[in-house]
Amino acid sequence: MTPRAWLRVAAVVCVMLFVQEAVLNVLVLGGAHPDGFLLLAVAAGLIAGPQRGAVIAFAIGLVADLFVLTPFGLSSLVYVLVAFGAGSLASIPGGRAPISFQMMAAFAGGVAGTLLFEGIGVLIGQPRLPGHELVAVVAVVSISNAALIIPATAAMSRAINIGPSRDLAGVSGGSAAR
Amino acid sequence: MSTTRRNTSQRLTLVILVLLSVTAITLDYRGDASKAIRSIRNVARDGISPIQRVLADALHPIGDLFSGAVNYGSAVSENEQLRNELGTLRREALENQTAEHQLQELLNEENLPYIQNLPTLVAEVVAGPSSNFEATFEIDRGTSSGVGVGMPVVDGAGLIGTITAAGSSTSVVEAITDPGTSFGVSFGTPALYAVAGGRGTGYPLSLSNVTASTPVTDHELVYSSGIAGASLPAGIPVGTVSSVHYTRGTLTKSVLVTPVADLSGLSTVTVILWFPAP
Repeated sequence: MTPRAWLRVAAVVCVMLFVQEAVLNVLVLGGAHPDGFLLLAVAAGLIAGPQRGAVIAFAIGLVADLFVLTPFGLSSLVYVLVAFGAGSLASIPGGRAPISFQMMAAFAGGVAGTLLFEGIGVLIGQPRLPGHELVAVVAVVSISNAALIIPATAAMSRAINIGPSRDLAGVSGGSAAR
Repeated sequence: MSTTRRNTSQRLTLVILVLLSVTAITLDYRGDASKAIRSIRNVARDGISPIQRVLADALHPIGDLFSGAVNYGSAVSENEQLRNELGTLRREALENQTAEHQLQELLNEENLPYIQNLPTLVAEVVAGPSSNFEATFEIDRGTSSGVGVGMPVVDGAGLIGTITAAGSSTSVVEAITDPGTSFGVSFGTPALYAVAGGRGTGYPLSLSNVTASTPVTDHELVYSSGIAGASLPAGIPVGTVSSVHYTRGTLTKSVLVTPVADLSGLSTVTVILWFPAP
Protein backbone atom coordinates (compact mmCIF):
# COMPACT_ATOMS: atom_id res chain seq x y z
CA MET A 1 0.00 0.00 0.00
CA THR A 2 1.20 3.48 -0.82
CA PRO A 3 1.58 6.24 1.79
CA ARG A 4 -1.37 7.99 0.12
CA ALA A 5 -3.51 4.91 0.60
CA TRP A 6 -2.52 4.80 4.27
CA LEU A 7 -3.49 8.45 4.63
CA ARG A 8 -6.89 7.71 3.09
CA VAL A 9 -7.33 4.74 5.43
CA ALA A 10 -6.41 7.03 8.34
CA ALA A 11 -9.06 9.49 7.17
CA VAL A 12 -11.67 6.73 7.05
CA VAL A 13 -10.68 5.63 10.57
CA CYS A 14 -10.92 9.23 11.83
CA VAL A 15 -14.38 9.62 10.34
CA MET A 16 -15.42 6.32 11.92
CA LEU A 17 -14.02 7.48 15.26
CA PHE A 18 -16.30 10.48 15.29
CA VAL A 19 -19.27 8.54 13.93
CA GLN A 20 -18.70 5.98 16.68
CA GLU A 21 -18.46 8.59 19.42
CA ALA A 22 -21.26 10.83 18.22
CA VAL A 23 -23.78 8.44 16.68
CA LEU A 24 -23.11 4.72 17.15
CA ASN A 25 -22.49 5.00 20.90
CA VAL A 26 -25.96 6.52 21.25
CA LEU A 27 -27.66 3.65 19.41
CA VAL A 28 -27.93 1.51 22.49
CA LEU A 29 -30.15 -1.53 22.39
CA GLY A 30 -30.19 -3.94 25.30
CA GLY A 31 -27.16 -2.16 26.75
CA ALA A 32 -25.06 -2.68 23.59
CA HIS A 33 -24.14 -0.45 20.68
CA PRO A 34 -22.65 -1.07 17.20
CA ASP A 35 -18.88 -1.39 16.92
CA GLY A 36 -17.73 0.74 14.00
CA PHE A 37 -14.07 -0.22 14.30
CA LEU A 38 -14.81 -3.93 14.15
CA LEU A 39 -16.94 -3.19 11.09
CA LEU A 40 -13.99 -1.43 9.45
CA ALA A 41 -11.70 -4.35 10.29
CA VAL A 42 -14.09 -6.79 8.59
CA ALA A 43 -14.36 -4.43 5.61
CA ALA A 44 -10.55 -4.24 5.40
CA GLY A 45 -10.34 -8.03 5.33
CA LEU A 46 -13.04 -8.32 2.68
CA ILE A 47 -11.57 -5.62 0.47
CA ALA A 48 -7.82 -5.97 0.89
CA GLY A 49 -7.57 -9.70 1.50
CA PRO A 50 -6.23 -11.52 4.56
CA GLN A 51 -2.71 -10.14 4.58
CA ARG A 52 -3.21 -6.45 3.94
CA GLY A 53 -6.58 -6.57 5.64
CA ALA A 54 -4.95 -7.84 8.83
CA VAL A 55 -2.31 -5.10 8.72
CA ILE A 56 -4.98 -2.42 8.28
CA ALA A 57 -7.08 -4.02 11.02
CA PHE A 58 -4.08 -3.96 13.36
CA ALA A 59 -3.76 -0.21 12.83
CA ILE A 60 -7.51 0.26 13.32
CA GLY A 61 -7.29 -1.73 16.54
CA LEU A 62 -4.49 0.47 17.89
CA VAL A 63 -6.64 3.54 17.32
CA ALA A 64 -9.69 1.87 18.88
CA ASP A 65 -7.60 0.88 21.90
CA LEU A 66 -6.82 4.51 22.63
CA PHE A 67 -10.41 5.21 23.55
CA VAL A 68 -11.29 2.25 25.77
CA LEU A 69 -10.09 1.05 29.16
CA THR A 70 -9.48 -2.57 28.14
CA PRO A 71 -5.82 -3.60 27.77
CA PHE A 72 -3.98 -1.83 24.97
CA GLY A 73 -3.56 -4.27 22.09
CA LEU A 74 -6.64 -6.36 22.81
CA SER A 75 -8.73 -4.73 20.08
CA SER A 76 -5.78 -5.00 17.66
CA LEU A 77 -5.44 -8.70 18.35
CA VAL A 78 -9.15 -9.35 17.83
CA TYR A 79 -9.39 -7.18 14.71
CA VAL A 80 -6.33 -8.83 13.15
CA LEU A 81 -7.86 -12.29 13.62
CA VAL A 82 -11.28 -11.19 12.35
CA ALA A 83 -9.88 -9.35 9.32
CA PHE A 84 -7.65 -12.29 8.45
CA GLY A 85 -10.64 -14.61 8.70
CA ALA A 86 -12.85 -12.34 6.61
CA GLY A 87 -10.09 -11.92 4.03
CA SER A 88 -9.54 -15.66 3.85
CA LEU A 89 -13.26 -16.21 3.34
CA ALA A 90 -13.39 -13.59 0.61
CA SER A 91 -10.39 -15.15 -1.09
CA ILE A 92 -12.13 -18.44 -1.68
CA PRO A 93 -12.18 -18.99 -5.46
CA GLY A 94 -15.49 -18.11 -7.07
CA GLY A 95 -15.07 -14.61 -8.28
CA ARG A 96 -16.46 -11.38 -6.91
CA ALA A 97 -18.14 -11.63 -3.53
CA PRO A 98 -21.80 -10.67 -3.79
CA ILE A 99 -23.44 -8.26 -1.39
CA SER A 100 -25.15 -11.10 0.44
CA PHE A 101 -21.77 -12.75 1.03
CA GLN A 102 -20.33 -9.53 2.43
CA MET A 103 -23.31 -9.17 4.74
CA MET A 104 -22.96 -12.73 5.96
CA ALA A 105 -19.22 -12.29 6.46
CA ALA A 106 -19.84 -9.07 8.39
CA PHE A 107 -22.42 -10.80 10.57
CA ALA A 108 -20.02 -13.67 11.25
CA GLY A 109 -17.23 -11.17 11.88
CA GLY A 110 -19.40 -9.43 14.47
CA VAL A 111 -20.13 -12.68 16.27
CA ALA A 112 -16.52 -13.89 16.11
CA GLY A 113 -15.06 -10.50 17.06
CA THR A 114 -17.29 -10.09 20.10
CA LEU A 115 -16.72 -13.63 21.34
CA LEU A 116 -12.97 -13.37 20.75
CA PHE A 117 -12.84 -10.10 22.64
CA GLU A 118 -14.70 -11.63 25.55
CA GLY A 119 -12.73 -14.88 25.47
CA ILE A 120 -9.27 -13.34 25.20
CA GLY A 121 -10.27 -10.66 27.71
CA VAL A 122 -11.21 -13.28 30.28
CA LEU A 123 -7.97 -15.16 29.60
CA ILE A 124 -5.91 -12.07 30.42
CA GLY A 125 -7.87 -11.27 33.55
CA GLN A 126 -10.57 -8.90 32.37
CA PRO A 127 -13.96 -9.14 34.10
CA ARG A 128 -16.36 -11.53 32.44
CA LEU A 129 -19.33 -9.91 30.73
CA PRO A 130 -22.55 -11.39 32.12
CA GLY A 131 -24.16 -13.91 29.75
CA HIS A 132 -27.28 -11.86 29.07
CA GLU A 133 -25.20 -8.82 28.23
CA LEU A 134 -22.87 -10.81 25.99
CA VAL A 135 -25.85 -12.09 24.01
CA ALA A 136 -27.08 -8.52 23.54
CA VAL A 137 -23.63 -7.33 22.44
CA VAL A 138 -23.24 -10.20 19.96
CA ALA A 139 -26.69 -9.56 18.51
CA VAL A 140 -26.35 -5.78 18.19
CA VAL A 141 -22.78 -5.84 16.85
CA SER A 142 -23.35 -8.60 14.30
CA ILE A 143 -26.67 -7.24 13.00
CA SER A 144 -25.33 -3.68 12.73
CA ASN A 145 -22.20 -5.03 11.02
CA ALA A 146 -24.34 -6.76 8.42
CA ALA A 147 -26.44 -3.64 7.93
CA LEU A 148 -23.49 -1.25 7.56
CA ILE A 149 -20.95 -3.39 5.72
CA ILE A 150 -21.78 -2.06 2.25
CA PRO A 151 -20.90 1.59 2.98
CA ALA A 152 -17.94 0.41 5.04
CA THR A 153 -16.50 -1.69 2.21
CA ALA A 154 -17.18 1.13 -0.25
CA ALA A 155 -15.24 3.57 1.94
CA MET A 156 -12.43 1.08 2.50
CA SER A 157 -12.15 0.19 -1.20
CA ARG A 158 -11.90 3.87 -2.09
CA ALA A 159 -9.33 4.41 0.63
CA ILE A 160 -7.03 1.65 -0.55
CA ASN A 161 -7.87 2.36 -4.16
CA ILE A 162 -9.46 -0.94 -5.06
CA GLY A 163 -12.44 -0.59 -7.34
CA PRO A 164 -15.75 -1.97 -6.11
CA SER A 165 -15.84 -4.49 -8.93
CA ARG A 166 -12.51 -5.96 -7.97
CA ASP A 167 -12.32 -9.74 -7.90
CA LEU A 168 -11.67 -10.52 -4.26
CA ALA A 169 -10.04 -13.80 -5.19
CA GLY A 170 -7.48 -11.78 -7.04
CA VAL A 171 -6.96 -9.42 -4.13
CA SER A 172 -5.50 -12.17 -2.04
CA GLY A 173 -2.94 -12.61 -4.73
CA GLY A 174 -1.40 -9.40 -3.55
CA SER A 175 -2.03 -7.24 -6.58
CA ALA A 176 -4.27 -4.83 -4.75
CA ALA A 177 -1.65 -2.37 -3.70
CA ARG A 178 0.79 -2.70 -6.53
CA MET B 1 4.20 -22.89 -5.82
CA SER B 2 3.28 -19.19 -5.73
CA THR B 3 0.08 -20.04 -3.85
CA THR B 4 2.12 -21.84 -1.20
CA ARG B 5 4.51 -18.91 -0.92
CA ARG B 6 1.58 -16.52 -0.68
CA ASN B 7 -0.05 -18.58 2.04
CA THR B 8 3.21 -18.73 3.97
CA SER B 9 3.59 -14.98 3.67
CA GLN B 10 0.02 -14.43 4.87
CA ARG B 11 0.51 -16.68 7.87
CA LEU B 12 3.81 -15.05 8.72
CA THR B 13 2.13 -11.64 8.64
CA LEU B 14 -0.65 -12.95 10.86
CA VAL B 15 1.83 -14.37 13.37
CA ILE B 16 3.82 -11.11 13.46
CA LEU B 17 0.67 -9.02 14.01
CA VAL B 18 -0.58 -11.35 16.73
CA LEU B 19 2.80 -11.18 18.45
CA LEU B 20 2.80 -7.38 18.21
CA SER B 21 -0.67 -7.27 19.76
CA VAL B 22 0.32 -9.64 22.54
CA THR B 23 3.43 -7.53 23.18
CA ALA B 24 1.24 -4.41 23.45
CA ILE B 25 -1.06 -6.19 25.91
CA THR B 26 1.93 -7.35 27.96
CA LEU B 27 3.41 -3.84 28.02
CA ASP B 28 0.06 -2.47 29.20
CA TYR B 29 0.24 -4.75 32.22
CA ARG B 30 3.74 -3.56 33.16
CA GLY B 31 4.30 -0.53 35.38
CA ASP B 32 6.19 2.06 33.36
CA ALA B 33 4.84 1.11 29.96
CA SER B 34 1.35 1.07 31.41
CA LYS B 35 1.77 4.65 32.64
CA ALA B 36 2.99 5.73 29.22
CA ILE B 37 0.03 4.06 27.50
CA ARG B 38 -2.36 5.68 29.98
CA SER B 39 -0.84 9.07 29.21
CA ILE B 40 -1.18 8.49 25.47
CA ARG B 41 -4.79 7.49 25.96
CA ASN B 42 -5.51 10.61 28.02
CA VAL B 43 -3.87 12.82 25.39
CA ALA B 44 -5.88 11.11 22.63
CA ARG B 45 -9.13 11.57 24.55
CA ASP B 46 -8.33 15.21 25.27
CA GLY B 47 -7.37 15.69 21.63
CA ILE B 48 -10.66 14.58 20.19
CA SER B 49 -12.74 16.05 22.98
CA PRO B 50 -13.43 19.49 21.41
CA ILE B 51 -14.34 18.02 18.01
CA GLN B 52 -16.28 15.29 19.71
CA ARG B 53 -18.40 17.82 21.60
CA VAL B 54 -19.19 19.80 18.47
CA LEU B 55 -20.03 16.64 16.55
CA ALA B 56 -22.00 15.23 19.45
CA ASP B 57 -24.12 18.38 19.59
CA ALA B 58 -24.67 18.21 15.84
CA LEU B 59 -25.09 14.47 15.43
CA HIS B 60 -26.66 13.37 18.69
CA PRO B 61 -30.11 14.31 17.42
CA ILE B 62 -29.59 11.76 14.62
CA GLY B 63 -28.42 9.14 17.09
CA ASP B 64 -31.24 10.06 19.44
CA LEU B 65 -33.71 9.70 16.57
CA PHE B 66 -32.59 6.14 15.88
CA SER B 67 -32.22 5.41 19.55
CA GLY B 68 -35.68 6.78 20.16
CA ALA B 69 -37.03 4.57 17.39
CA VAL B 70 -35.66 1.42 19.00
CA ASN B 71 -35.98 2.48 22.61
CA TYR B 72 -39.15 4.52 22.44
CA GLY B 73 -40.32 3.64 25.92
CA SER B 74 -37.12 4.71 27.61
CA ALA B 75 -36.46 7.63 25.29
CA VAL B 76 -39.43 9.68 26.37
CA SER B 77 -38.25 13.13 27.31
CA GLU B 78 -36.61 12.85 30.70
CA ASN B 79 -34.35 15.76 31.48
CA GLU B 80 -31.54 15.63 33.96
CA GLN B 81 -32.92 18.24 36.29
CA LEU B 82 -36.03 16.16 36.86
CA ARG B 83 -33.88 13.09 37.19
CA ASN B 84 -31.75 14.70 39.86
CA GLU B 85 -34.78 15.97 41.72
CA LEU B 86 -36.36 12.55 41.56
CA GLY B 87 -33.13 10.96 42.73
CA THR B 88 -32.84 13.38 45.64
CA LEU B 89 -36.44 12.74 46.64
CA ARG B 90 -35.91 8.99 46.42
CA ARG B 91 -32.85 9.22 48.57
CA GLU B 92 -34.59 11.44 51.11
CA ALA B 93 -37.56 9.11 51.22
CA LEU B 94 -35.33 6.11 51.75
CA GLU B 95 -33.29 7.89 54.35
CA ASN B 96 -36.40 9.02 56.16
CA GLN B 97 -37.75 5.51 56.19
CA THR B 98 -34.79 3.50 57.29
CA ALA B 99 -31.43 5.04 57.04
CA GLU B 100 -31.17 8.49 58.48
CA HIS B 101 -30.83 7.05 61.91
CA GLN B 102 -28.32 4.47 60.68
CA LEU B 103 -26.26 7.07 58.88
CA GLN B 104 -26.16 9.33 61.91
CA GLU B 105 -25.25 6.40 64.08
CA LEU B 106 -22.48 5.37 61.73
CA LEU B 107 -21.13 8.89 61.77
CA ASN B 108 -21.34 9.15 65.51
CA GLU B 109 -19.95 5.74 66.28
CA GLU B 110 -17.17 5.56 63.79
CA ASN B 111 -16.35 9.22 63.40
CA LEU B 112 -16.66 8.97 59.62
CA PRO B 113 -16.49 12.16 57.57
CA TYR B 114 -19.83 13.50 56.47
CA ILE B 115 -19.97 13.33 52.72
CA GLN B 116 -21.53 16.76 52.21
CA ASN B 117 -18.56 18.47 53.76
CA LEU B 118 -16.27 17.24 51.00
CA PRO B 119 -15.55 19.55 48.06
CA THR B 120 -17.42 18.68 44.89
CA LEU B 121 -17.40 19.58 41.24
CA VAL B 122 -20.29 19.42 38.78
CA ALA B 123 -19.44 17.84 35.44
CA GLU B 124 -21.27 17.21 32.21
CA VAL B 125 -21.41 13.78 30.62
CA VAL B 126 -20.00 14.18 27.10
CA ALA B 127 -19.87 10.59 25.85
CA GLY B 128 -21.14 7.15 26.66
CA PRO B 129 -19.07 3.97 26.74
CA SER B 130 -16.78 3.51 23.73
CA SER B 131 -16.73 -0.24 24.21
CA ASN B 132 -19.48 -2.75 24.80
CA PHE B 133 -17.22 -4.42 27.33
CA GLU B 134 -17.18 -1.67 29.91
CA ALA B 135 -19.80 0.39 31.72
CA THR B 136 -18.13 3.78 31.46
CA PHE B 137 -18.88 7.32 30.40
CA GLU B 138 -16.82 10.42 29.81
CA ILE B 139 -17.17 13.74 31.63
CA ASP B 140 -15.95 17.20 30.66
CA ARG B 141 -13.68 17.71 33.68
CA GLY B 142 -10.13 16.53 34.07
CA THR B 143 -6.96 17.07 36.04
CA SER B 144 -7.00 20.79 35.23
CA SER B 145 -10.18 21.02 37.34
CA GLY B 146 -8.72 18.96 40.16
CA VAL B 147 -10.26 15.64 39.10
CA GLY B 148 -8.12 12.56 39.70
CA VAL B 149 -8.25 8.80 39.35
CA GLY B 150 -10.20 7.13 42.15
CA MET B 151 -12.54 10.02 42.94
CA PRO B 152 -16.17 9.06 43.48
CA VAL B 153 -18.88 10.33 41.15
CA VAL B 154 -22.43 10.79 42.42
CA ASP B 155 -25.75 12.29 41.49
CA GLY B 156 -28.65 13.47 43.61
CA ALA B 157 -29.54 9.92 44.60
CA GLY B 158 -26.19 8.36 45.35
CA LEU B 159 -23.09 6.69 44.00
CA ILE B 160 -22.66 6.39 40.23
CA GLY B 161 -19.05 5.30 39.86
CA THR B 162 -15.43 6.31 40.19
CA ILE B 163 -12.92 8.09 37.96
CA THR B 164 -10.72 5.51 36.26
CA ALA B 165 -8.83 7.72 33.80
CA ALA B 166 -8.22 11.45 33.91
CA GLY B 167 -6.88 13.62 31.11
CA SER B 168 -6.41 17.36 31.44
CA SER B 169 -9.90 18.27 30.24
CA THR B 170 -11.85 15.00 30.31
CA SER B 171 -12.14 11.96 32.56
CA VAL B 172 -13.59 8.49 32.27
CA VAL B 173 -16.00 7.27 34.93
CA GLU B 174 -16.46 3.58 35.55
CA ALA B 175 -20.04 2.94 36.65
CA ILE B 176 -20.68 0.84 39.76
CA THR B 177 -22.48 -1.70 37.58
CA ASP B 178 -19.33 -2.51 35.59
CA PRO B 179 -18.45 -6.18 36.13
CA GLY B 180 -14.92 -5.16 37.14
CA THR B 181 -16.05 -2.90 39.97
CA SER B 182 -15.91 -3.84 43.65
CA PHE B 183 -15.93 -1.70 46.77
CA GLY B 184 -16.74 -1.93 50.45
CA VAL B 185 -20.26 -1.22 51.69
CA SER B 186 -22.02 -1.16 55.02
CA PHE B 187 -25.61 -1.66 56.06
CA GLY B 188 -27.72 -2.30 59.12
CA THR B 189 -27.38 -1.29 62.76
CA PRO B 190 -24.81 -1.91 64.08
CA ALA B 191 -22.98 -1.57 60.81
CA LEU B 192 -22.23 -4.75 58.93
CA TYR B 193 -19.76 -4.82 56.12
CA ALA B 194 -19.67 -6.51 52.73
CA VAL B 195 -18.14 -6.07 49.29
CA ALA B 196 -20.39 -4.87 46.45
CA GLY B 197 -19.58 -5.87 42.88
CA GLY B 198 -21.02 -4.87 39.51
CA ARG B 199 -22.86 -7.41 37.36
CA GLY B 200 -23.36 -5.45 34.17
CA THR B 201 -25.34 -2.49 32.93
CA GLY B 202 -28.94 -2.48 34.08
CA TYR B 203 -28.46 -5.25 36.62
CA PRO B 204 -28.27 -5.00 40.41
CA LEU B 205 -24.99 -5.19 42.28
CA SER B 206 -24.18 -8.33 44.21
CA LEU B 207 -22.89 -8.34 47.77
CA SER B 208 -20.23 -10.84 48.72
CA ASN B 209 -18.94 -11.81 52.16
CA VAL B 210 -22.45 -11.77 53.63
CA THR B 211 -22.50 -14.70 56.04
CA ALA B 212 -25.58 -16.84 56.48
CA SER B 213 -26.20 -15.42 59.94
CA THR B 214 -26.04 -11.77 58.82
CA PRO B 215 -29.43 -10.09 59.17
CA VAL B 216 -30.31 -8.43 55.84
CA THR B 217 -33.77 -7.22 54.92
CA ASP B 218 -35.31 -6.16 51.65
CA HIS B 219 -35.23 -2.42 50.88
CA GLU B 220 -32.44 -1.86 53.36
CA LEU B 221 -30.21 1.02 52.31
CA VAL B 222 -26.57 0.21 51.59
CA TYR B 223 -23.80 2.83 51.91
CA SER B 224 -20.15 3.00 51.01
CA SER B 225 -18.33 1.71 54.06
CA GLY B 226 -15.38 4.07 54.26
CA ILE B 227 -13.44 1.75 56.51
CA ALA B 228 -9.68 2.24 56.67
CA GLY B 229 -8.09 2.12 53.25
CA ALA B 230 -11.46 2.13 51.47
CA SER B 231 -11.72 3.25 47.88
CA LEU B 232 -14.70 5.49 48.67
CA PRO B 233 -15.55 7.89 51.49
CA ALA B 234 -18.11 6.68 54.01
CA GLY B 235 -21.81 7.30 53.83
CA ILE B 236 -22.51 7.60 50.11
CA PRO B 237 -25.83 5.88 49.39
CA VAL B 238 -25.18 3.00 47.00
CA GLY B 239 -28.45 1.13 46.66
CA THR B 240 -31.24 -0.76 48.34
CA VAL B 241 -31.37 -4.48 48.97
CA SER B 242 -33.63 -5.92 46.31
CA SER B 243 -33.14 -9.63 46.88
CA VAL B 244 -31.87 -11.85 49.68
CA HIS B 245 -31.44 -15.53 49.00
CA TYR B 246 -30.07 -18.22 51.24
CA THR B 247 -29.48 -21.78 50.13
CA ARG B 248 -29.57 -24.25 52.98
CA GLY B 249 -26.15 -25.72 53.72
CA THR B 250 -24.14 -22.79 52.35
CA LEU B 251 -22.09 -20.37 54.43
CA THR B 252 -23.13 -17.16 52.72
CA LYS B 253 -26.25 -15.38 51.52
CA SER B 254 -26.80 -14.15 48.01
CA VAL B 255 -27.74 -10.47 48.26
CA LEU B 256 -28.57 -8.17 45.35
CA VAL B 257 -28.60 -4.39 45.62
CA THR B 258 -30.35 -2.07 43.17
CA PRO B 259 -28.44 1.22 42.74
CA VAL B 260 -30.32 4.26 44.04
CA ALA B 261 -28.87 6.35 41.23
CA ASP B 262 -30.40 6.00 37.78
CA LEU B 263 -27.36 5.19 35.65
CA SER B 264 -29.10 5.40 32.28
CA GLY B 265 -29.04 8.61 30.27
CA LEU B 266 -26.94 10.65 32.66
CA SER B 267 -26.09 14.17 31.53
CA THR B 268 -24.82 15.87 34.68
CA VAL B 269 -22.94 14.34 37.58
CA THR B 270 -21.01 15.49 40.64
CA VAL B 271 -17.41 14.52 41.29
CA ILE B 272 -16.42 14.35 44.96
CA LEU B 273 -12.89 15.71 45.18
CA TRP B 274 -11.69 12.98 47.49
CA PHE B 275 -8.74 10.70 46.87
CA PRO B 276 -8.70 7.16 48.19
CA ALA B 277 -5.95 6.37 50.69
CA PRO B 278 -2.76 5.33 48.86
